[in-house]
Amino acid sequence: MTNVEYDVDDDTIAVVEDTDLPRRLKDNVYETLEDRGDATVEDADELAKAVETRYLDTRVDPLDPVGTVSAQSIGEPGTQLTMNTFHYAGVAEIDVTQGLPRLIELVDARKTPDTPMMTVYLEGEYATEREKAHEVVWKIEATKILALGDVSTNVADMRVQISLNEDTLKERMITPDEVAGIIEDSLGVQTVQQGTEIQFGPEEPSYRDLLQLVEELRDITFKGIEDISRVVIRREELDNGNEEFVLYTEGSAFGDVLEIEGVDASRTTCNNIHEIHRNLGIEAAREAIIEETNNTLAEQGLDDVNVRHLMLVADMMTNRGEIESIGRHGISGSKESVLARAAFEVTVNHLLNAAIHGEVDDLDGVTENVIVGKPIKLGTGDVDLRMGSTTSGSGQAD
Amino acid sequence: MVDVSQHELVPEHTVLEDDELEEVLTEYNIDRTDLPKIKRNDAALPDDAAVGDVIRIVRDSRTTDQSVVYRLVVE
Repeated sequence: MTNVEYDVDDDTIAVVEDTDLPRRLKDNVYETLEDRGDATVEDADELAKAVETRYLDTRVDPLDPVGTVSAQSIGEPGTQLTMNTFHYAGVAEIDVTQGLPRLIELVDARKTPDTPMMTVYLEGEYATEREKAHEVVWKIEATKILALGDVSTNVADMRVQISLNEDTLKERMITPDEVAGIIEDSLGVQTVQQGTEIQFGPEEPSYRDLLQLVEELRDITFKGIEDISRVVIRREELDNGNEEFVLYTEGSAFGDVLEIEGVDASRTTCNNIHEIHRNLGIEAAREAIIEETNNTLAEQGLDDVNVRHLMLVADMMTNRGEIESIGRHGISGSKESVLARAAFEVTVNHLLNAAIHGEVDDLDGVTENVIVGKPIKLGTGDVDLRMGSTTSGSGQAD
Repeated sequence: MVDVSQHELVPEHTVLEDDELEEVLTEYNIDRTDLPKIKRNDAALPDDAAVGDVIRIVRDSRTTDQSVVYRLVVE
């Protein structure tokens, strides 16, 4: 007997469990019965049967064009999405692409999103203590020279002078020695270091080389991950009333961040579906596509789009074990039928190439048959009905 | 290295035994090549999976309790 956490008697459980319903609906039935309190086994049976009938009724019929229905169901609300590219998303003042541009980005499976970002969860004391959380921030956020101190150029002596800020160094856990070392390694110059003062210059006195060095100095990442330009730390409430620190980053480097000590590698996510695919596999990518498309629509108040449509899109995009875009470079472009491909985009090229290669179209799909004006093989179009030429006579017809 | 299978986005992956595979293929009346694919170098693939194996994936479904899908390991 399955365990039921609702307060209903065994007969009721037997009746409900007997139906062909999924777990969640069964639980709903139990909940309703529990609320009623005075429901008899007969009532329970009637209710369960009614729910089952409705459930079986609403399932997709054989030969239903689910793809077309999904396309329309996403397309119609899509017309209401904002075309504004930028908008600060409620959380953490981080710029994220939303609305239509984001949706297009997802279904086109772009290699990098317009505004990459990560949501980094922390574990243990890193999540509860601000100091500890900051340690992780400094490991992630790219630290450039301007954050550590002042840079000035001494044109008379042809020297670049850096005076480091001691407090900042201590806070970001980096020593002047390390700073000098990194400068020597990446610029290939000899540095002179005294306390928090660092000096260096070009080998030959040259004004151009001096400015060049300053330019390059500004681009060096002394600590953290180069791709991540900003990290915002936020205190968030958990379901159980406790609070934890969560980091939001501008820029993403999912694989690197997962390895950092203190990062909760089971919840941290990013908005780049390719990075998720690379680090967590194709199934996680599928989940991420559903999650991201769903959130994009929900953000615009269009969360009444049934998630099944988005699941279908994600299933198609991940069917071959790698992320494929919808569109002529991806799924539509790999269709068997010449006419179906030509109907999508760049018609002439497809027809021309097909002609050169002598392709044959078997007219099996929907689009091809619409083009040539034949009934499509879907729904009632797939069954042949014929008037009976023989008499069924004795009434055995069924 | 991070244990990928612990991530909440990653469902459970297991390699399917031959006799179980037979059952699945007869149930759906398909060839194993008709199944969705998973790359050999996929991060979430179990270590003992080889090309040609079929992986059973048990997802927490959004529409029902759990859903079981299968993927064929390819190069």
